[in-house]
Amino acid sequence: MSVPDYMQCAEDHQTLLVVVQPIGIVPEESFFRIYKRISAVSQVNVRDSQRVLYIRYRHHYPPENNEWGDFQTHRKVVGLITITDCSSAKDWPQTFEKFHLQKEMYGSTLYDSRLFVFGLQGEIAEQPRTDVAFYPSYDECETVEKRIEDFIESLFIVLESKRLDRATDKSGDKIPLLCVPFEKKDFVGLDTDSRHYKKRCQGRMRKHVGDLCLQAGMLQDSLVHYHMAVELLRSVNDFLWLGAALEGLCSASVIYHYPGGTGGKVGSRRAQGGSLSAEAGNRHRPGALTSNGINADTSAEIGRAKNCLSPEDIIDKYKEAISYYGKYKNAGVIELEACVKAVRVLAIQKRSMEASEFLQNAVYINLRQLSEEEKIQRYSILSELYERIGFHRKSAFFKRIAAMQCAAPSIPEPGWRACYKLLLETLPGYSLSLDPKDFSKGTHRGWAAVQMRLLHELVYASRRMGNPALCVRHLSFLLQTMLDFLSDQEKKDVTQSLESYTAKCPGTMEFITLPDGLKLPPVPFTKLPIVRSVKLLNLPTSLRPHKMKSLLGQNVSTKSPFIYSPIIAHSRGEERNKKIDFQWVQGDVCEVQLMVYNPMPFELRVENMGLLTTGVEFESLPAALSLPAESGLYPVTLVGVPQTTGQITVNGYHTSVFGVFSDCLLDNLPGVKTNGCTVEVIPALPRLQISTSLPRSAHTLQPSSGDEISTNVSVQLYNGETQQLIIKLENIGTEPLEKLEVTAKTVNTKEKLYGDFLSWKLEDTLSQFPLKPGKIATFTVNIKVKLDFSCQENLLQDLSDDGISVSGLPLSSPFRQVVKPRVETKPINPQESSKVGDFSHVKALEAILNFKYSGGPGHVEGYYRNLSLGLHVEVEPSVFFTRVSTLPATSTRQCHLLLDVFNSTEHELTISARNNEDLILHAGECQRMAIQVDKFNFESFPESPTDGTQFANAKQLEEERQQAKGLEINSKLDICWKIPSLKREGEASVEGVLNQLVLEHLQLAPLQWDILVDGKLCDCDIVVNCKVGDPIPLEVKLTNWSKHSVGPFALTMTPYQDYQNGVHNYELQDAITFVGSNTFYIDSVKPTKDSVYFGALLFLYTGDFYLNIKFHEDNCSRELPLSWFCLPSVHIRAMEPTVQTKL
Amino acid sequence: VLVSIISSPPQNYPLYIRSVPTENELKFHYTVHTSLDVVDEKISAMGKALVDQRELYLGLLYPTEDYKVYGYVTNSKVKFVMVVDSSNTALRDNEIRSMFRKLHNSYTDIMCNPFYNPGDRIHSRAFDNMVNSMMMQVC
Repeated sequence: MSVPDYMQCAEDHQTLLVVVQPIGIVPEESFFRIYKRISAVSQVNVRDSQRVLYIRYRHHYPPENNEWGDFQTHRKVVGLITITDCSSAKDWPQTFEKFHLQKEMYGSTLYDSRLFVFGLQGEIAEQPRTDVAFYPSYDECETVEKRIEDFIESLFIVLESKRLDRATDKSGDKIPLLCVPFEKKDFVGLDTDSRHYKKRCQGRMRKHVGDLCLQAGMLQDSLVHYHMAVELLRSVNDFLWLGAALEGLCSASVIYHYPGGTGGKVGSRRAQGGSLSAEAGNRHRPGALTSNGINADTSAEIGRAKNCLSPEDIIDKYKEAISYYGKYKNAGVIELEACVKAVRVLAIQKRSMEASEFLQNAVYINLRQLSEEEKIQRYSILSELYERIGFHRKSAFFKRIAAMQCAAPSIPEPGWRACYKLLLETLPGYSLSLDPKDFSKGTHRGWAAVQMRLLHELVYASRRMGNPALCVRHLSFLLQTMLDFLSDQEKKDVTQSLESYTAKCPGTMEFITLPDGLKLPPVPFTKLPIVRSVKLLNLPTSLRPHKMKSLLGQNVSTKSPFIYSPIIAHSRGEERNKKIDFQWVQGDVCEVQLMVYNPMPFELRVENMGLLTTGVEFESLPAALSLPAESGLYPVTLVGVPQTTGQITVNGYHTSVFGVFSDCLLDNLPGVKTNGCTVEVIPALPRLQISTSLPRSAHTLQPSSGDEISTNVSVQLYNGETQQLIIKLENIGTEPLEKLEVTAKTVNTKEKLYGDFLSWKLEDTLSQFPLKPGKIATFTVNIKVKLDFSCQENLLQDLSDDGISVSGLPLSSPFRQVVKPRVETKPINPQESSKVGDFSHVKALEAILNFKYSGGPGHVEGYYRNLSLGLHVEVEPSVFFTRVSTLPATSTRQCHLLLDVFNSTEHELTISARNNEDLILHAGECQRMAIQVDKFNFESFPESPTDGTQFANAKQLEEERQQAKGLEINSKLDICWKIPSLKREGEASVEGVLNQLVLEHLQLAPLQWDILVDGKLCDCDIVVNCKVGDPIPLEVKLTNWSKHSVGPFALTMTPYQDYQNGVHNYELQDAITFVGSNTFYIDSVKPTKDSVYFGALLFLYTGDFYLNIKFHEDNCSRELPLSWFCLPSVHIRAMEPTVQTKL
Repeated sequence: VLVSIISSPPQNYPLYIRSVPTENELKFHYTVHTSLDVVDEKISAMGKALVDQRELYLGLLYPTEDYKVYGYVTNSKVKFVMVVDSSNTALRDNEIRSMFRKLHNSYTDIMCNPFYNPGDRIHSRAFDNMVNSMMMQVC
């Protein structure tokens, strides 16, 4: 006996073996249909008793196993059912012949046999025969079950007779020696009369009777027989049969203890009769001894409980039996089957450890060379048994071996499909599931090295099965879940093979359903590359939408009554889904930044990477990227265009790596940082593009308020120059541009700027609105740079050798300290100092032009966009006023402004002022120009309304006032420069140059002195004619324009003659007499009041005389500035009285 | 000879594996992996006994043709498994027991390391040295 039946279990000992076989040509399908119907009749209640017969059907049974039928009767084929297909009566004899041949194969053991003939009709079919049944077709055979029952009953009769026959054998009769096939030759020539031999025969027969009783449904009897057999056989050391007797004892006890069966699978096959079985079992056991008339057994009185083994004893006895079997090499199959049966029993008893020992033993039972199929069967059954005792890993191990065996190289046609199927079954044993989600969270589960191996095998098997999609799926799974455990070389290998597979069949995100219904979930490559953070980016500043401020505070949340609360009520959970406080605009490209890194030791090419979104129709624009090996965090920007408005949620991203398409949802990614994934999409807005007439600049402005400048332009201008900046506004969006507002802001002005830097007229541009998409409007801005034209201090020192030496005034002005002491002057070579480079300090002016624009549906919603244009103006110096001074003019109402003009450009430059000649300056040349100006009456400017109270502002106010003065002066001067070679021109401003002193000189004194001689107003150049001898009235009028009352003053008139050679003759007492005093005393004059004093002069001789009016030194008018006491000199020409008067 | 430490259920993945000789390591992996069945079985059998009185040493898990597999389980259900040559008769139960105790002590030291994350694979030079010396002793 060489073919073990791994499915055997202890209950099989009570069954009758019936072989069902086809003869001739029977369609397999039909045969198994009939076989199924036949095998449904597995339990039969024998008509006149309550005993139950159990039948075991086999459609294949090796005849050599049949030879062991004496050893254990359940191995004996007692019934044969043949099924045949016979269409014509002609074939009938032949068929019948075959039936007989078949019968002969098991002939020695058969109790009875049946032949089922299908398809034959006619007279032969009408003959009533017991051993043959005719059916017209496979579909019309309702009586099959009935037939089988009859057949079994006939089997029972034979069995019962045999049992009775053997059981009642008296010891006196010659008992034949039962033996197993390999023993036969051992007994040749043995003394058959010895006691030993007789005892052996007796023992074996007892055991045999026990088997028969068990089969006949007489459990208690069988127990008794087995006990007796054990005792008999033990005494003669017949170990093989002793083992069999013990096993029989065990089987009977198992049947008693576990009526539900131990077979598991076998049990389920019998499920339909299960309830009947239990019922029948309950019924027959108590009545087994009483109701049965044939229980005239000698040992009937032995108590049932005593005969039956306890569950522990069963195992002990099994062990014993197996150890006896183990002594015989030829009984390997028996031993193996006993082990299997014992394990099944132990599995029910939940004694896994002992069961594993049995199994361990079973593994080592060496049978003859097994065929591959048998090996597979053996490993599978081992696996199944391990599974049953809860050793899942061990079970998986054997299953895997079985799977490998299916595809062993020695097999000519490897069964990859079976191999794959078995491999799939091992997955739970290795705590491996094919759902990548199970591996995405927490630590790895299970034994990675072993799992990896299994996955590799799955990949290989699926590939050999010719299912590339499956293969790709498994390989992707391997790569995704085992990435941490793969070595660098393995990573390379796996990806290479993955790429080669995906070339044929790209990996998808669909479920793969296997034929047996298993669904393989898709494997997204969330680790290739690994995404660390997802950040939705705001639109670039120039495209960012802003909400128009409505009257109601936009930011005031309606949720809370508090304007501000330190308690921020958001939990961690909300964080991921929180809304972001910026908006995206429909139709504009929006960006999401991912921080990714490549864990692979080689360059990773990610193709077709795009965003997965919900909420809004979103056109994702996929990107392809290539990440260097083991890269650090690497920013990747994914873009897309929202096509509708509303809330958009970024759920994840999709990639294509190694030909596998993956959709990675952020929810499933561990350790991803996001700043929120939901953002609002607002309706479309127009887009404005700016181009200017000026070149773009590389220089970027860094504005303070956080705005970003989209465009920067730069221009180089000479100080004082004006230029037009033409800005082209192009609507490059799809919506009409309806609104435009322009504001300008000057940034980082350290330089003092005079006049309007930027000026424009918006109306001209607005007249071109609304601007259709693609249309261009122009907008003109005037840039005027007017910086300080004064030169730097050091320059001042070097070039002005005599400081501000205007009129020898005392150093009373606070602005005097501008002039540093002369000692510090560096001995600079005048040639060097006059070099242009020294003064060409280029200054920069920067300004931002803001364009607020809106239009389209976004405008309706109240959004606008802001575009900024950065303007960078480099101001090169044109001319400098190195020194400024005044010279009094002949009239007290006028004065000369002296300007030392320095040409700091490299070009020839002409400079002109109002009413003046052009002055030509060569590069680096310095010349003085004098401009006659009327003095100014600054007092008309508003004075500070509050003096003293706001002391901090006093200085500011002063500066402001000075600035206003400068402006006034400048407007009068109108100084222009021109560079003919460059055809550039501009203005020059003296505003910055003017200092307090100069201003004072340019100012009309608040005390206005008018001197009238002979009723005529005297001024410097006016000569008053008078007659000798006539008294000439002299009138001094003081008008006080200042705010305080002034005076009293004392004035002295001193006449003198100028000889035009530097000699003044003051000795004129005899030439001129004063009528009255030559000294005027003036009382204090209230503001805006005037007072007039009269005197008279009498000229005694003719001649040109001058009057010098002086203030007395001692009076209190010191407090007032000297320039206030600037009186005109009086020039009088005394002449002879005309003759005509005498005439 | 192989020493391995396996983390507590349900993960049951190896924290540390070291074998001499290193070739055919996968075979050892399979041996240890399947031995976990026995360990589980033994633990669950002992579940009824008071936990703190439990013997940590599980004894021989199962013999194979060439190797003997011994097991040891800490109270936190971290498993130590040792596979030794079955031809090595010098190793008695007592020696194995003391080896496991040594292993356990070293493992405790690792756990005391504040920079070690429970559940990570063990990369410790001190532990390696200890295992090395132990293996030297055995071989």
